[in-house]
Amino acid sequence: MRIIEHPIIEFKRGRKIHFYYNGKKLEAYEGETIAAALYANGIKILSKSLRKGRPRGFFCGIGKCSSCLMKVNGIPNVRTCITLIKEGDVVEDNDMVLPEKEYPECKFTKLNTDIAIVGGGPAGLSAAIEAADYANVLLIDENHRLGGQLIKQTHKFFGSKKEKAGTRGIEIAKELEDEVRKKNIKILLNTSVIGYYDRGYHFLVAVDKMNRTVYEIKAGKIIFATGAQENMLLFDGNDLPGVYGAGGVQTLMNVYGVKPGNVGLIVGAGNVGLILAYQLLQADVEVACIVEAMPKIGGYFVHAAKIRRCGVPIYTGHSIKKAYGNEHVEGAIIAKLDEKWNFIEGSEKDIKCDFICLAVGLSPTIRLIAQTGADILFINEAGGWVALHNEYMETTKPGIYVAGDLANIEEASTAMLEGKIAGLHAVIEFAKNDKTKIMEKIKEYMEDLEIFRQGYFGIRPKIAKEKIWRKYHEKMGNRRNS
Amino acid sequence: MKDRAEVVIIGAGINGCALAYELAKRGKDVVVLEKHYICYGATGRCGAGIRQQWATKENALLAKKSVEIFERLSEELGYDIGLRQGGYLIAIHDEEEMRQAKKNVEMQRSIGLPVKIISPDEIKEIAPILDPEGMEAIAATFCPTDGHANPFKTTYAYARAAKKLGAKIYKFTEVKDIKVKDGKVEEVVTNRGKIKTKYVVNAAGAWSKEIAKMVGINMPNKPVRKEALVTEPIERLFDCMVISFKHGIYFSQQEEGQILGGIPSPEEKIGYYTEPTFSFLKHMAYMLGKYAPPLKHINILRQWTGFYDVTPDALPILGETNIEGFIQCNGFSGHGFMIAPMVAKLLAQLICQEKLDMPIDRLSMERFKGKITKEKAVVG
Ligand SMILES: Cc1cc2nc3c(=O)[nH]c(=O)nc-3n(C[C@H](O)[C@H](O)[C@H](O)COP(=O)(O)OP(=O)(O)OC[C@H]3O[C@@H](n4cnc5c(N)ncnc54)[C@H](O)[C@@H]3O)c2cc1C
Ligand code: FES
Repeated sequence: MRIIEHPIIEFKRGRKIHFYYNGKKLEAYEGETIAAALYANGIKILSKSLRKGRPRGFFCGIGKCSSCLMKVNGIPNVRTCITLIKEGDVVEDNDMVLPEKEYPECKFTKLNTDIAIVGGGPAGLSAAIEAADYANVLLIDENHRLGGQLIKQTHKFFGSKKEKAGTRGIEIAKELEDEVRKKNIKILLNTSVIGYYDRGYHFLVAVDKMNRTVYEIKAGKIIFATGAQENMLLFDGNDLPGVYGAGGVQTLMNVYGVKPGNVGLIVGAGNVGLILAYQLLQADVEVACIVEAMPKIGGYFVHAAKIRRCGVPIYTGHSIKKAYGNEHVEGAIIAKLDEKWNFIEGSEKDIKCDFICLAVGLSPTIRLIAQTGADILFINEAGGWVALHNEYMETTKPGIYVAGDLANIEEASTAMLEGKIAGLHAVIEFAKNDKTKIMEKIKEYMEDLEIFRQGYFGIRPKIAKEKIWRKYHEKMGNRRNS
Repeated sequence: MKDRAEVVIIGAGINGCALAYELAKRGKDVVVLEKHYICYGATGRCGAGIRQQWATKENALLAKKSVEIFERLSEELGYDIGLRQGGYLIAIHDEEEMRQAKKNVEMQRSIGLPVKIISPDEIKEIAPILDPEGMEAIAATFCPTDGHANPFKTTYAYARAAKKLGAKIYKFTEVKDIKVKDGKVEEVVTNRGKIKTKYVVNAAGAWSKEIAKMVGINMPNKPVRKEALVTEPIERLFDCMVISFKHGIYFSQQEEGQILGGIPSPEEKIGYYTEPTFSFLKHMAYMLGKYAPPLKHINILRQWTGFYDVTPDALPILGETNIEGFIQCNGFSGHGFMIAPMVAKLLAQLICQEKLDMPIDRLSMERFKGKITKEKAVVG
């Protein structure tokens, strides 16, 4: 299952180590997550559903869905998709039995920072880089490395040179990380922010489980850049192991060099679905087809053309009706949709495949930002529930900012720009003499954003942003009046 | 929305919904008005413990008779309410508590409750995960027929059964005013229209004080914020609810394995402030670890805030007032879930002018004019 040769990525695997799965000794490489190591060993069923005991595989691969909970070294309910494997680890089915051993003492550490940034993806990294020139910055991410979703983007980016067009996501991640590490920025990895509390000042609680440390963080301002999570789709068998989020598959394949299977079916022909198809082909995985409910392809034409040239059929006006298989995907039934989005009887096709990728959109991960009390609204064009914010990315809760996918489902380039704007605006009051300079820079980034949103693919995000801004100003106006 | 009803109940918590059912069962034309949604108030945020071990006879009897109803409620309402009778284990920390416990147990046994005082060893037998030393317990009282139910399921079960019998429940409907004429209630004004009625029942939980003001009644109740948390689910570890009056802690394991509980927050304040606090989280986690050390390994999933509607003597306010047709059903402090089945039955009997199963005159607001005897067995 491991990818040895790849046209773009060179997998630098760590030291070979051993771990135990239900008593069996298996091999892994340092730097892999437990879920990736298991997958490489052909183990795809990670957990059982709570009530009905149905088998579950991983879905999101980034710690957001909890379908990969297992027992690790006696501790139940560990998210194996974001926990690194260690020599001698004992991984077992999650029986939810508590360990007998004593619980090691926890450390409580108090931190005080001008700016706290939650999320180390393109938005969070860009915010940190800009803010660090004027204030002290704390950057927190629950993954073991920086870069967010960029670390699995092997394709070259579109757009302007300034936003690193022509560069691959993985390389952008590297550049941003290098820049962050050069500056005086405090970074906490493997650390989950679990709560926001208003104590008259902004207060975050974060936990590094591996080091048993609880951070109590007092922050002047906070920028949330927690990204998004993949949408599920309703169909028979959608919880079978082998039904994965597109991003989860990218992580497994492009970050850890593990093949998701032999033949895949992709649902959704937006850019994510199209790019994923191409990445699968690069990893020498067959793509049976792409199904797209809309009458036409949603993603960039060049991507679609490339896929078609490789012989992958794209069925527009089709959707997935059912996934089948014994404890794991063995195939899927797809069918044509009529104009009311109902399946047309008799149009079914049986597609043999051993995994299915859902690339049907993302929703902002608002769980933390919702705790701040910032106003949240459902805006369809933004991908779901989003925190209202102004042109400077500040929410209706003063001193609380959002950026990137959390602020509207868009793309890495706009996430970087939004991060920069949020990062700069948040430090204005810390920057004594540079206020005008900062405002000029912000203006420039705003103009870049404007240009980004001018094309065909900018239509939806632009509508979303305008709604978000308008609602923000309405709310704040009402508040001032009352 | 209807513009006329015999009885208008304000608040779709456990008490409002249970009463709607009892009245509809008796053929009354009932409307329930709810500002938000069913279970928005204390009911959807509570521990849903069912305890009969009280210090005052009123509370003990109300709870005991309620348990008798709870035991057959799933069947009566045609919906599983998730009742578990794993008992209540109340820690005794010192000699003074022991003296009070002995008095309580004597009264409780006199009304037929199978309560007994148990030793630290027996505590461990009932719930092996408990650490009597960490609990600082010299003994405990235990009543095996106490327990807990699922507050959402119980309330929905009542609401569903009430609707089947013709009651109407209007959600997102806020009562703005109550019109009184010649000392009698006449009409309820909401944000969605008006309803003419003979009876108005004030079952608005922590907001009851505001409702009573609408008819010129000034209530001594105070809304007190209470925080609670729930953990991820784990294997079944224990069946009883564990509480301590001294530490104010309570916790139990829910049907699906989560541990749910609360403790007074160091930042506790009076008022309608719903934001949870970190000091509660930290304090509760610490105390849980002392009471039941293996729980240190568990992840906490959520925390939230609810409100107790607290009266000066921690007893509810029930029954008629000097405004004809204005009926009180509030002031339940930390125990309005467990006594709701009986409270609903009694108030339905009152409104339908039937003979009451037990007298409730001592629970009217009149009692605050004289000397008050406070319920001592309160937690949190
Ligand atoms: C953390 C916590 C733990 C608890 N643990 C327990 C326990 O273990 N056992 C136990 O028995 N009890 C417990 N309690 C207490 C118990 O939850 C309450 O006493 C009980 O739920 C009260 O029910 P209710 O129906 O009277 O009020 P509520 O459930 O508060 O319902 C009142 C309703 O009235 C509505 N309302 C208010 N104003 C208006 C208006 N103007 N118009 C329309 N609608 C309005 C509200 O929205 C609300 O839904 C606990 C409480 C808390 C907060
Ligand atoms: S949380 Fe691990 S797969 Fe989603």
